[in-house]
Amino acid sequence: MEIDKNPDYLNTQSPAPGLVNLFRVEDVLNLARANSLWPLTFGLACCAIELMAGGAARFDMDRFGFGVFRPSPRQADLMIVAGTISRKMVPCIKTLYDQMPSPKYVIALGGCATAGGPFKYPGQYAILEGIDKIIPVNVYVPGCPPRPEALIAGIMELQKQIKEGKTQGVMSPASVQDSQDGRPADYKNAISRADFRKPFDPAQGKPPAPPAPPAAAATPAAPTPSA
Amino acid sequence: MVSTLVKTNIKDWLLETIKPEEFSEKNLKVAGILFEALVPQNKIAEVAREYFSQGYFLESITAVDFSECLEIVYHFNQWGPAKRSCIKILAPKNASGAPIATAPSITSIYKAADWFEREIFDMFGVVFQGHPHLKRILLPESSTIHPLLKSFKGEPKGSDVEQCLKLLKEDAETFEITYPQSIKQQNNHYYLNMGPQHPSTHGVLRLLLHLDGERVLDAEPVIGYSHRHHEKMMEIQNYLACWPNFGRLDYVGAMSYNFGYALLIEKAMGVVPPPRVEYIRVLTTELNRIASHLLWMGTFLLDLGGFTPFFYCFDDREKVLDILEAATGERLTYDYFRFGGVDHDIPQEMVPAIKKFIPAFKERLRDYDKLVTKNVIFEHRTKGLGLLSKENALAYGVTGPALRGSGIAMDLRRDEPYSIYPELDFNIPTRTDGDVYSRYVVRVKEMEESLKIIAQIIDKIPAGDFKSGKLPKNVPKGEYYSSVESTRGSFGIYLVSDGTLNPYRIRLRTPSFSNLNAIIDMLPGCLISDVIAVLGSTDIVLPEIDR
Repeated sequence: MEIDKNPDYLNTQSPAPGLVNLFRVEDVLNLARANSLWPLTFGLACCAIELMAGGAARFDMDRFGFGVFRPSPRQADLMIVAGTISRKMVPCIKTLYDQMPSPKYVIALGGCATAGGPFKYPGQYAILEGIDKIIPVNVYVPGCPPRPEALIAGIMELQKQIKEGKTQGVMSPASVQDSQDGRPADYKNAISRADFRKPFDPAQGKPPAPPAPPAAAATPAAPTPSA
Repeated sequence: MVSTLVKTNIKDWLLETIKPEEFSEKNLKVAGILFEALVPQNKIAEVAREYFSQGYFLESITAVDFSECLEIVYHFNQWGPAKRSCIKILAPKNASGAPIATAPSITSIYKAADWFEREIFDMFGVVFQGHPHLKRILLPESSTIHPLLKSFKGEPKGSDVEQCLKLLKEDAETFEITYPQSIKQQNNHYYLNMGPQHPSTHGVLRLLLHLDGERVLDAEPVIGYSHRHHEKMMEIQNYLACWPNFGRLDYVGAMSYNFGYALLIEKAMGVVPPPRVEYIRVLTTELNRIASHLLWMGTFLLDLGGFTPFFYCFDDREKVLDILEAATGERLTYDYFRFGGVDHDIPQEMVPAIKKFIPAFKERLRDYDKLVTKNVIFEHRTKGLGLLSKENALAYGVTGPALRGSGIAMDLRRDEPYSIYPELDFNIPTRTDGDVYSRYVVRVKEMEESLKIIAQIIDKIPAGDFKSGKLPKNVPKGEYYSSVESTRGSFGIYLVSDGTLNPYRIRLRTPSFSNLNAIIDMLPGCLISDVIAVLGSTDIVLPEIDR
């Protein structure tokens, strides 16, 4: 994946290049930031359930200091994009991201937020194939949905990055041409209603539908079992 | 085994109204309906009125695109033993195939028709004459496509980002454009936008609340923020590749959606799965029902301000998930069933694990009773709130625990029996009040009943195969409807097969869609803080609504 060279608001790679060198202060701040991540309470689809499970009894994300879920973006610094991003939802996600105060971090949770997941097919009309086309992402967590352990590992990875001062997000260029794979899509053509109705009466007789289950059950059971 | 065709009044009435060749009887066990009838366009309102007067509810409206016309398909069903029937009207297209089709609206008879018709307008471009506010429902309002038409061949490469950037620009103005006058007209009244990012909407639902002070005057749910094109996607996949879609429709109770799809294809192909499969299926489905209700209970009580039950419920839920994970390998989006079987056999250690779980969970249910059900604060908060009358339940086609909370003992496990449910002994809990508390109690009792079912079959699982032999890859030409009682209500799949390797059209009748529609009449009069309680009590899952 190609990394966008100059997203202007992301140049945190070399901290404090100005007159006064604040490396040590940044280090201390980063340590504080990494250990008090406040995620936004924000779920889109299936992955949000695992996000909830991550915060609940067994997995208890509070152990690591990132369990303080905030319902308002103004109080949060970590956005966990958990689920499929429908196109209708994109303006909301972008608004939420813009409302979060800097420094802010993004985790793409699951296949959909990473690259479209199972809902990606040639010519799809409803989803955005990966949140990184709209906002920069720090950590990708694969899975459909990922287990809560995977999410916790992802956040710990983010903590590591923050502590080391390497929190540059990855944003793929907005005009990705090869985002969809080359498989030919088998879009159907409309069939004629008259044709569809025809075989019910004379042509094939009535083999598929009308026979009651016992008669019909005998036919497919006849071939030898595969195993 | 052959189903007895019940002579219904509506059937006699229809035979008098339409030509006999437009009427055909079907086998309920195969096609899922008793009969279907093709009605002239101008008579659909009359037919719908007759159905309504005989106590039928509108299960779904959908459309099928053929080359010369669009078929609009209405499914009606009754509370009690299944009497599903199917009415069709034709919406002609013009020569170029452009979506100029029109049809009369039946919103004045069935309130449920409002959203169904808007969905058909959205997906097929059919204009319903007489619909009060025909606008898009699932796709963004600025969208120009009608994706479920066969003439729609997908969007060009890379258009997802372009579309989203366009939407970003438009979004800021949309609200002002849609509701400018009503906001400025009334000084004391105002609109509050709840969602789509709201922790208590259980997903991405937007509720547009019209308020007078703290009192709700009117509520409009705006859906479609989680539209994932399941129906179009399934048209370009083969039947086997559709399994993951059913795991992800309602991810909280995915097993019953698996069940629906398995039943549909097995009915169509005339396959009877081995007895072991039936037991495994019911066992896993009921376990999943418990897990789903536990998740609902935890989050619902969390919304009401009780933090402790959330941890209790999730703790129990994890125990159920452990059992299911041992069998399926998944925690959430199960793709466990296969046509005529299940993916693999249940492991040895699952049976003792369930036996250990049953008494432990019974104990926990007693705890919940003490902690929540008999809690005075909870009772005061939820009793008499969010009333759903029987009339509204009928008009909106509400099913599932929401309906049973209003005193109707409708459960497809009993009314349209499938698998081994007829042999099992379980009750259908109902409450008569139709408020938030009733719906809560019904779900808690349902967990007990599910536990009862599990206890009954756990010792009786017969040995044998866990799958049938090889099946053909295509489904015989025809139309099929299959329906199961999911965690949230009656889930139906309507399949039009043209005999090829992938479905010609699959329509998913999801229960939450109708249940959410009904909150339009449940919310007015509530306080704003109670909106969450009412919404939570309907137990919706948004990706299932938006599909």
